[in-house]
Order: sequence, then structure tokens, then C-alpha cells
Amino acid sequence: MSSMMTYLALSMVLFIIGALGVCLRRNAIVLFMCVEMMLNAVNLAFVAFSKLHGNLDGQIAVFFVMVIAAAESAIGLAIILSVFRSVASVETTDAAELKW
Amino acid sequence: MIELFILLVKVFLVMNIALVLGSLCTWIERKGSALIQDRVGANRAGAFIESDKWFVKPALPFVRMMGWLGVINTLLCDSVKGLWKEDFVPEGASKFLHAAAPIIAVLPIMLAFAVLPLAPDFTLFGYYIHPRVAPIDAGLLFVLAMGSVAVYGVAIAGWTGNNKFSLLGSLRAAAQMISYELPMGLVFVALIVVYGSLDVYTIVERQGDLLWGFIPKWGVVMQPVSFVVLLLAGMAETKRGPFDLPEAESELAAGYFTEYSGMKFLLFWLGEFCEIALFALLLALLFFGGWHIPWVKLPEGVWWAALVGHVVLMTKVVFFCLLQIVIRWTLPRFRYDQLMNLGWKMLLPVSLVNLAVTAIIKVLV
Amino acid sequence: MSFIEFILGVAALVSGIAVISFRNPLYSAFALVANLLTIAGLYALLNAHFLAVTQVVVYAGAIMVLVLFVLMLLNLKTEQGKQPGLAQLATAVVGGIVLIVTALPPVLSRFQGLSSHQLADNVRASEGTVQAIGQELYSHYTVQFELSSLVLLIGIVGAVMLAKRKQPQLGPRQGGLLKGE
Repeated sequence: MSSMMTYLALSMVLFIIGALGVCLRRNAIVLFMCVEMMLNAVNLAFVAFSKLHGNLDGQIAVFFVMVIAAAESAIGLAIILSVFRSVASVETTDAAELKW
Repeated sequence: MIELFILLVKVFLVMNIALVLGSLCTWIERKGSALIQDRVGANRAGAFIESDKWFVKPALPFVRMMGWLGVINTLLCDSVKGLWKEDFVPEGASKFLHAAAPIIAVLPIMLAFAVLPLAPDFTLFGYYIHPRVAPIDAGLLFVLAMGSVAVYGVAIAGWTGNNKFSLLGSLRAAAQMISYELPMGLVFVALIVVYGSLDVYTIVERQGDLLWGFIPKWGVVMQPVSFVVLLLAGMAETKRGPFDLPEAESELAAGYFTEYSGMKFLLFWLGEFCEIALFALLLALLFFGGWHIPWVKLPEGVWWAALVGHVVLMTKVVFFCLLQIVIRWTLPRFRYDQLMNLGWKMLLPVSLVNLAVTAIIKVLV
Repeated sequence: MSFIEFILGVAALVSGIAVISFRNPLYSAFALVANLLTIAGLYALLNAHFLAVTQVVVYAGAIMVLVLFVLMLLNLKTEQGKQPGLAQLATAVVGGIVLIVTALPPVLSRFQGLSSHQLADNVRASEGTVQAIGQELYSHYTVQFELSSLVLLIGIVGAVMLAKRKQPQLGPRQGGLLKGE
């Protein structure tokens, strides 16, 4: 098994752990962190491919993912804060007023 | 094999230089603050030491002098005291995180020393040696990264304290460190624009040139505004001087390390003083020409020139350590809104304008 | 595969599992910081030096500090109420294993042959130094780069707009944050 495949496998397992976290947990901030972990798993695969193909395109993609993640975290946490202000909780089951 | 040996020696030396600078700062702080406040300060431990042993006798005058100067008190007695104190962990706190916090606070600062050159490159016994542990090309970025990781030690410490004062202190500290990181990053960008490199070694080397043939191209000449901003931001990052709100004694007991005792507490202190030394080193390297003496050109790649350069650099570093300590003991503490205003409404716009002006000049010239 | 790669990979897996299994969100956050740092280490081993440092600055230094800040400000207790039951947990674990088992072999077999393409000059060309990344960004991805700055600006404005305190009477049920005001 080559080094590249190990990286791919690691990236994939990390992604699945993140996805499981999104399914299992109810705390909105933890969900957010799991999404970040999934993004990171994909980033790892990008960087591994960048080395595999011998060009920088993968690393540039990771750079842009990081930019988006930064913007997303600012907005996501602001949303979580305003949800907390209106329902006094960050559990996803508590902010279910639109559900019937 | 020999490369590994050289690397290990470099790691050993750099670690020791960082620690020695840190403990030197401790001593300067103790005696210097006494001087500023018209006290005597630590002066007794070891000052009256007596011995009849023949191998101790010749050293006795020296030891007594060190005792009078307070060196033994600050460096030996304080550490022994720290080692023997009870290791207290507050109720309900995570033992693991409580123990990890001081380490996390010190480690990034130690790591930041790894990318900073401490002398010009030289050749010794046929081996080309660059006196820094990790010669990576993103040196300045690495220093910035380590600065931002240092927030965690403080945050975890305040949180494991399990009381309101600690938590408030750590929130203040984290907010302050994040706020002042922005002007610091912008200052670094301006420097990168001027010297055209992120590598600290290259930046220092380019400061050896002369501007218009007679002014040394030091950072403080090329970027005076940046120097002031980095000095202020650096002092805010070390959470000292007039910026010591996170550990404001009159408001928060001792801030984020209220619940720490013994060696863990001393580790925070060590981290703080190593951070002072780190910022002094950064100021000396980036703005005061590092190992360059103005208008003097040392031969390149010779070991004695590197040694002279190292001594010159360390002189500048000690000067900046002194400057930071004098400022810390001279100025009163800011109010918290003043601190935030200074960071966001003064330093950030000033460094942004500075960057824009620098870029325009760079394009025009 | 070197020893360091192995250690970092295992650490990434362990900290990843820790993120989703801690009850206390603060512990999860610390575990995620560890995870991000191990991934930064893997980037450095994959010759992406710039990305490794950026990962530490952006993810560990900015995003996670923000998360930590929010967690400490809200002062959340551990998740209360009914925890996911054993059946749910078992389903999740089985589902995860099934996902890995079904998805891994095709992916790996798809790229089986590729690893032999690794040439010395390939490695040289994919060296992600600051200069190389900058060259690439400003020559081929200029528009995207400028657009990403716009995205960040929108992020800042959006966050400020969302987090700005509304008039007190607008909030139907006021949270813990407002009580002290």
C-alpha cells in the first residue's frame, strides 16, 4: 500500500467520522465542528492529490476552502449565537419551532 | 549523522538561549522594578554564605556578589520554592487540561524561536551552518501562527480554573491577543513588501545594505510606523506592561492563572518572560538590523564574524527586554475599552494605511 | 510511509473520534484543535509548507478560537436530556463501517496505478512554498482570489449584522446572555 493510498484512506475515514458526528450529535456548535472536520478531510485528500500529480492546483483549492471556511465560521457562529438568544439553547432539538 | 548532531546542538543552543534570556528577564524584572520603585529588591539569599571547603572558597566572593545582586534569589530560590509547593487542582476541573495548560502556553513560544536566526551563517570545519533550527521559507508566518496558538494555553488555563475570575481573565486575554494579532500581521506584511521576503534571515541580510549610500537600511528607518505598532502589539501580546488587564490584580485576583501554584505557575511566568525575549528578538531582527553594525561590514561565512554578530544581536535583544520591562513598570494599566480602542481604532487603521503607503512607494520607486 | 506520518495519522484518527464522542463541547473543541494540528503536520510532510502554516493560523488560530470563545461565553453544560441510545449508537457505528467498507475499495482501486507516476520532478513541482503558491495564485487564479476577499467581506458584514443585539423587546424568550444586561 503506497503512502498516497494511506492518505486517501485517512482522509476518507476522517470524513466519515465527521459525517457520523453530524448525524449523532445535537449540539449545534459540535455539528459545526464536525463540518469543519469533514472539510479538513477533503483538504487532506486535495493536498495528497497535489503531490501525486505534481502540481499546485490541489493546494490552491485547499487555500480557497480555507477562505470559505473562515467566512462560514463567522456567519455560522453568529447564527448559532442568535439562535441561542431566542431559544436559550444551542441544541438542535430545541430550535424546532417550525417543525410540527 | 553529523547533520543530526549539528541539528541537536542547534536545538540545545536555541532552547538555552531562549531560557537564559527568559531568566535574565526575570532578574531584570525583579531588580529593575525595585530600582524604578525606589526599593532594594531581592538582595539577601546567598549574600552571607560561608564555607571552609577549599574548593568552594575561591568562588565565594562571586557567589556573595550574585547574592547581593539578587541573582541567587530569583533564579535558584524561586525555582526551589516552586518545586516544593503543593500542586493544587481546583475542584471540578479536568486534571489533564489543568496540567496541560501551562505547557500549551509555553510550547508555541519556544517553537517560535526555532525559525529565528541567531547569527549569520558561517562555515566551521567545512560544514556550512545556519544558526537556526528550522530554516523554513515562511518564517514570519510561522511566528504569527505560534502567536495565535499561544491563545489556547491561556484559554484552557482560565477555563480549568473553574471560577469566574479565571474565566473572565482568560476571555480578556484571548480577546486581547486576537485583537492585537491583526496589526501585527499587517506590520509583517509591510515588512515583507519592503524587503521582498518572508524569511527572517533574508530580511536581516537586506538590512545590511545602505539607503542612498549612507543610511543603513534598517527596518526602523524604512518602516518607523511599523516599529511603533509592533512594539505596542508585542507588549499587548505578552499581556504585560500597561496591557496587563487579563491579570489585573485589583479586579481579577490573578486572572487566568489564579488557580495555579508551584511549578505550573512558574511555567506561566517562564512563558511570559520568554515571550518578552521573543518580541525583543523580533524587534532586533526585523527593525534594528539583527547582527549588523551600521556602516561596518563583517566578513561573510567566518565563524568569528558570526560570533561577533551574535553578540551584537544579543545586545540589541537585551536592550529591548529592558525597554519592555521599563515600560511595564512605568505606565499605569489601561481601562479595557481603552485597550480595545487602541487595538481596533488606532493600531489597525494605522497599520492598514502604513501598508497601503508602503505598497504605493514600493510600486513607484 | 514514515514513522512520523503513521503517528500523525493515528493521532488524527483518535482526535477525530474524540471530537464526536466527548459529551462536553469544550473537550470536543480541544480535540478538534489537536486534529487540525495533526493535519497541519501531514500537510508539512506532503510538501505543502504554506498550507501547513496557514492551517495553523486560520483554523487553529482563528476559527477554533472563535468557537472556543462562543462556547465559553455561552457557558454550556454538557448535553443534557436523553443521549443517543445504544441502538442509535450501534446503528451509527455499523453505518459508518458499512460506508467505509463499501466506499474505500473502489476509491483505492481507482487510484491504484497512480502512485507509480510519482517522479522526482513531480515532487519538485508540487513543493508548496510561499513563493510557488503566490505565483500560482496571482497568475492563474487572480479573479478567484479577489472574489474570495469579497466572500470574506460578506462574511464579516453578515456576522456583524446577525450578532448585533436587536431591541430588547423583540426577543420572545431572552437567553442567558441578555439576563445580566
